Amino acid sequence: MIAVCLKWVDRRPDPARAIVVAEPDERFAGVSAADQAALEWALRQRDRVGGEVVALTVGPSAAEAILRDASAAGADRAIRIDLAFGAPSRTVATALAGVVGEASTIWCGDYSFDRGTGSVPAFLAHDLGVAQALGLVAVEFTDAGIVALRRLDGGRRERLSITRPAVLSVEGSTALLRRASLRNLLASPIIERVGAGGGHADALHPVEARPYRPRPRVLPAPAGATALDRVRSLTAAGSATAAHGETVTLEPAAAADRILAALVEWGYIP
Amino acid sequence: MRDAGALDPATLDADVIVVGAGPAGSCAAIVLARAGKRVVLIERGPFPGSKNMYGGVVYPRILDQLIPNWWLEAPVQRWVTRRSTMIMTDDKALTVDFRCEAWGKPPHNGATAFRPDFDAWLADKAVVAGARLICSTTVTGLLHNEAGAVSGVTTDRPDGDLTAAVVIACDGVNSFLAKQEGLYGEFDAANYTLGVKETLALPKETIDERFGVRGTDGVDIEIVGCTGGVNGGGFIYTNLDTIAVGLVLKLPKLAAQKQRPEELIATMKRHPAIAPLVEGAELKEYSAHLIPEAGISMLPTLSGNGMLLAGDAAALCLAAGIWLEGVNFAMASGMYAGEAVVEALRAQDVTVSGLAGYQRRLEATFVLKDHRKLKRAPELVLSDRVQHLYPEFVTSVAERMFRVDNPAPKPGVRRIIAQERKRVGIRRRDLAADGVAGLRSFG
Ligand SMILES: Cc1cc2nc3c(=O)[nH]c(=O)nc-3n(C[C@H](O)[C@H](O)[C@H](O)COP(=O)(O)OP(=O)(O)OC[C@H]3O[C@@H](n4cnc5c(N)ncnc54)[C@H](O)[C@@H]3O)c2cc1C
Repeated sequence: MIAVCLKWVDRRPDPARAIVVAEPDERFAGVSAADQAALEWALRQRDRVGGEVVALTVGPSAAEAILRDASAAGADRAIRIDLAFGAPSRTVATALAGVVGEASTIWCGDYSFDRGTGSVPAFLAHDLGVAQALGLVAVEFTDAGIVALRRLDGGRRERLSITRPAVLSVEGSTALLRRASLRNLLASPIIERVGAGGGHADALHPVEARPYRPRPRVLPAPAGATALDRVRSLTAAGSATAAHGETVTLEPAAAADRILAALVEWGYIP
Repeated sequence: MRDAGALDPATLDADVIVVGAGPAGSCAAIVLARAGKRVVLIERGPFPGSKNMYGGVVYPRILDQLIPNWWLEAPVQRWVTRRSTMIMTDDKALTVDFRCEAWGKPPHNGATAFRPDFDAWLADKAVVAGARLICSTTVTGLLHNEAGAVSGVTTDRPDGDLTAAVVIACDGVNSFLAKQEGLYGEFDAANYTLGVKETLALPKETIDERFGVRGTDGVDIEIVGCTGGVNGGGFIYTNLDTIAVGLVLKLPKLAAQKQRPEELIATMKRHPAIAPLVEGAELKEYSAHLIPEAGISMLPTLSGNGMLLAGDAAALCLAAGIWLEGVNFAMASGMYAGEAVVEALRAQDVTVSGLAGYQRRLEATFVLKDHRKLKRAPELVLSDRVQHLYPEFVTSVAERMFRVDNPAPKPGVRRIIAQERKRVGIRRRDLAADGVAGLRSFG
């Protein structure tokens, strides 16, 4: 079984939606480009190695629209796990894990259009106890299996040879979803409905709704004889930006201490 | 009678394909689905109404027949209780203002509504009745059977051909399906106007205050003389917390004058009669669309074997000066097309003669009756005299009537009219001829 997890979201770019959970307007609802890419990779995998693609969504009945679209695009089965819109990622992942345990590969978009934290695939891999490859920017099927390229900080890439079972989350740019045929669109797919199991529909209730503001960084007082020098040293203006970082070889515990020390030094944590 | 085999439901994907889920298409689909026909309603936008624009007022009286008490559920912004006609020159404006409180109460008259709301609501009625709505799918052509009759459509989807006994083209103005079938004569740009619109946001209370309305009461203002050298007209409609400000511009004149429509809107918004209404508003949206303006004189052949045209695809929009009604004509023609097809399918004859009930219905109702009655109106309203000379004439007469020139005594109205007519350069003969034409058109 090849599973693909799709999130039903409002596709209008509205930053307020990231903090206030509101059920999508059905006219503007759908899946993100990343979820579409995930579905396309699932279909390509099936076309290459066989098996059955199961499209899943966690949400209310209106979310079945995206499962009908997935079926029209070629998914073999469609399952909706019944849960109110806006359930926390943790709950969504647990609900999915209850259904996709048999899957050899679980495809997800790297983040959804609304909250976009990308945490569901990570929670899902954790719940299933399987490998995870998140934030993939390229995927390749080889005779040996799946090889993928993962985005790292600083423009770097990591090449992964994926051992299955695994949860893979892909960026939207990796694949364009095939266009569903008219015949498939006209067919009426069967949508299986399951309860959320232990999951509960506790929607997010933000205590305070306001835009995301990163925490201020605490920096040591700048050095310099004149105000201009001090501003320069604070902003690094006029000089090539020195890249953070160093490569060290340490035992895990010492490495963790070194990372913490570096983060304090650079002002990311007090 | 058409070959019965060609109408065998078992060999066809659907009984009827309706192209375009605008007001015409959805009303056709509602009628057909309620009659138990297998209907596929194909829309190129991601949802009905997503691609559609108009000025902003619908007159849904015709819906009484399809959706009783529609006003209880239709997604309306405001009920129009105030209609004004404004005649303006660069620095003057004369307004005839009409109010009717009863229009704010059921069964209402007209309402402002957003097309993505209204069209989606109407299409949903068709879906509830049993029609299959397929969105994000563009019909790219017509299929024909061996006899040459229309037998389905091709679409831009893989495996995208679909067969049916009848295709109803409700694909809007400039319908290429109608053209493909040869139902239109030569294309003439003079038959079309370009409609452009800005949607401007203002707080609801500000709109209420500036336009003199309360609650969900709204205003519809039609304007003559606000389009620079280009022949056309303008409009302002109030939504709940936005207003629609737009122009309708005659295409050949627009092209010849090399003026940009958005600049013409900007000029209108600066007019002293308009500026206080739009001051401080935030531009939310700019949109443009063609209007089949020439009325009955551009009417295409409305049916072919296995095919009907409805709504703007059939050029049934009524654009006659103070009336810019397209949605109600589209809904009615869609509805009558649906009824005619039900009749034709029952009689197993979807040839032109089997579908003749459509034209009969249009002729018997307001759809073609209004068009015939107002057939001279578009030409008259868009004529150079009405557009450029009469606004100056009428507003100057008003200015002189209201001007107090003491110690000079008040001049008589007849004298003012004669003097101003001469000054503006209107020949008595033309004035009389236009008066007669006006009476004939609107009388
Ligand atoms: C600026 C402006 C102001 C107007 N103001 C008013 C007003 O205030 N009141 C009023 O009553 N009327 C007004 N009208 C006229 C009114 O908008 C039209 O008469 C009316 O929308 C016609 O409805 P329709 O269903 O025939 O076509 P449309 O509303 O144009 O719908 C056609 C549908 O077909 C779809 N379509 C087109 N081609 C294809 C294809 N190949 N495949 C699949 N789908 C396709 C389109 O996406 C669309 O949904 C105005 C028009 C304009 C341009």
